[in-house]
Amino acid sequence: MTSMQGSLRGSSQGSRQSTKNRRSNLGYFLGFGAPGLFFYACFVFAPLVLSLGYSFTNADAFAPHTKFTGLHNYVKLLGDPDFRMEVRVTTILTLIIVIVPNVAGLAIAVLLNRQGRLYRALRTVFFVPVVLSSVVVSVVWQAMLTDGGLLDTVLGSMGVKHPPGWLSDPSIALYSVGSIASWQLLGFCTVVYLAGLQGVPDELLEAAAIDGAGKWTRFRRVTWPMLAPALTINTVMLLITGFKTYDYVQVITHGGPGTGTTATVAYGVIQTGFTENKTGMASAMAVVMLIIVAVVSSVALRLLQRREVEL
Amino acid sequence: MTAGTTTEAAETTPAREAGTHPGRRDESRAPWVRPLVALIVTALFAVPLYLVVVNVFKPGGHITGSPASIPWPPTLDNLKATLDRPDNLYWDGLINSVEITAVSIVVLAILSAMLGHYLARTRSRFARVMLLVLLAGLMVPPQVILVPVVRILRLTHLMTTLTGMVAFNVGYYIPFGVFVFAGFIRSIPIELEEAAALDGAGRWRTFWIVIFPLLRPATASVLIFLGVWIWNDFLDPLIILGPVGGTTVTVGVYRALGEHQSNYGQLFGLMFLAALPVVIFYFLLQKHFVKGLTGGAVKG
Repeated sequence: MTSMQGSLRGSSQGSRQSTKNRRSNLGYFLGFGAPGLFFYACFVFAPLVLSLGYSFTNADAFAPHTKFTGLHNYVKLLGDPDFRMEVRVTTILTLIIVIVPNVAGLAIAVLLNRQGRLYRALRTVFFVPVVLSSVVVSVVWQAMLTDGGLLDTVLGSMGVKHPPGWLSDPSIALYSVGSIASWQLLGFCTVVYLAGLQGVPDELLEAAAIDGAGKWTRFRRVTWPMLAPALTINTVMLLITGFKTYDYVQVITHGGPGTGTTATVAYGVIQTGFTENKTGMASAMAVVMLIIVAVVSSVALRLLQRREVEL
Repeated sequence: MTAGTTTEAAETTPAREAGTHPGRRDESRAPWVRPLVALIVTALFAVPLYLVVVNVFKPGGHITGSPASIPWPPTLDNLKATLDRPDNLYWDGLINSVEITAVSIVVLAILSAMLGHYLARTRSRFARVMLLVLLAGLMVPPQVILVPVVRILRLTHLMTTLTGMVAFNVGYYIPFGVFVFAGFIRSIPIELEEAAALDGAGRWRTFWIVIFPLLRPATASVLIFLGVWIWNDFLDPLIILGPVGGTTVTVGVYRALGEHQSNYGQLFGLMFLAALPVVIFYFLLQKHFVKGLTGGAVKG
C-alpha cells in the first residue's frame, strides 16, 4: 500500500497538476490545519516561548523596568531553600501518587474482575471520584480530616481521645494530601487495569494451571506481563498528574501547616507569579518544572514501552 | 479472520460459565469470600461520597454531631439555601459553566477533528513536526504557561471574559482532541476519501459528509472527556475569569469555602449541586467513559 501511495504521489509531481495540487494543499492547510494550530500557538506555544524569555529577565508587575538578567533567576533558584523544599514536596507527592493508586488500583481491578451485576455496580463506584472536580474532592476530605472534623468525630465515638492532626501536623499533612490524591486517581487505574485483565486469554491461564502453576505464579508469569500496556498508561498519567499537583494544596492546606510543608512547585509558580507578581522568577520556576516533567515522563515512557516490547 | 475470532469467542464463553476458569476453581470452595471482600472494600472507599450525600439532607447543626447517621427526616434546607443565595453564586456559576463547557467542547471537537485529519493525512515533514509539537502539549501543566497567557489575554482584551476562557480552553485542550482524532482517522481507509473525491466531492464536503460521521466514537470520547475536564477545571477559570469575570460552579465551591467553615450543610449542598451534572452525565454515559479510557490498554 505504501508503494502505491508513493507512485501516486510521484505521478502527480512535475506534471501540470503539481501547481494545482500545491494550491489545494495550501487550501487544505488553511481550512483544516490552521484554525486549530492558531489557538494552540496563541495559548500554549507562544506562552511557552514567552515563559522561557521572561525567565532570563527580572520582569515584575510592580517594577517599571524589565532588564535582561541572564541566568540570574536560575542561579537564585538553585540556592533558594523554599524552592528546594517545593521540589522535595513535589517529589514525595509524585512518588505517593504514582505508587499508591497503581498498586491499589491493580488490587481492586483483580478483586472486581468478575462478571455480574454486583461487580459492575462496584466498579462504577470506584470511578465516581475520577469524574469529580478535585476542588469538590478537596472540600470533602478537608471536612473529614480537619481537626475535630468528621473523621475525628467518628474516631472519638470509637474511643480515640487524641487523634493525630491529619492536616495540622506538619509531618503528616503531606501524606494526607497524597492520600486524598490517591483516592481520587485510584478509579482511573482500576478501569485501565480491568480492561487489561479482560485482554488476558483464559486459555493461557488454564494452560498455566494445568502445568501446575499456583495462583501467584499465574499472576506473576502470565497476567502481569500482559498488563504492561496498562501499567504504562497509568504510570505516565500519574506522573504527569503528580508533578502538577496544585488544586488540593490551594484548597486544603495553602502550602502549610508551618512554612511550605505541602507547597508543590506548581503551587510555588502560581504564588510567585500571581501573588508576588514576580513574573521573571515564576517563569524560571515554570521552565524548571516543565523540564523535570518532560524528562521524567519521557524516560518513564521509554522504559515502560521497552518492557512491553520484550513481552 | 473475523470468522475465526467469533468461533473462538463462542467457545470460550460456555467455558467461563461452566467454571473451568482457573480462578473460579479456587473460588468454588468459598464462593462468598470475593463478593464480601469486594463489598467491604468498596464501602470503605465510598465513605467520603456517602458523607456528602447524607449530610446534604441534614440540618446544618446535626452534621458535626453525628456525621455518619442517616438523614431522617431528610431536609431540603441546604439545597434551598444554596439555590436562593442572595449573591446568586450557584446560578451565575452554573450559567457560566454551561456556556464555557458547551462552547469549548463543540469548538474543540470541530477544530481538532479537522486538524487531526490534516495531520493524519498529510505526509509532509511539516505535518509530522506539527503533530509532535502538538502532542508535547499534552504534558504541559497549566501553571507553566498561565503567567504569559494572562498577558496575552490582557493584550487582546479577553482577560476576565468568557470568550477568553473559551479561547484558552480551545488552545490548551486541542492536543488531546488531535491525539484522539488523528489516531482514529488513520484507521479509516483512505480509499473512502479517494472514492468520494472521484465522485466530485471537494475536501470540505468529503470530510463533513463522509468522514466526520464515521468519527462518532472518537467525537464521543473527545466531547465526554473534555466536557468533564473543563467543567471541573479550577485553576484556569480562577485566574482567567478572576473575581471580576464571575465564576464557574467549580470555582464557586472554592469561593464559598471561606464563609462556610462551620456550616458543612450549606457547603455540601453547593458542592452536591455543582457536581451533580457531571455525575449524572457519568452514569448516563458510563460505557463511553470506559471505552474512551481503555482504547489503548488492551494489546490486540
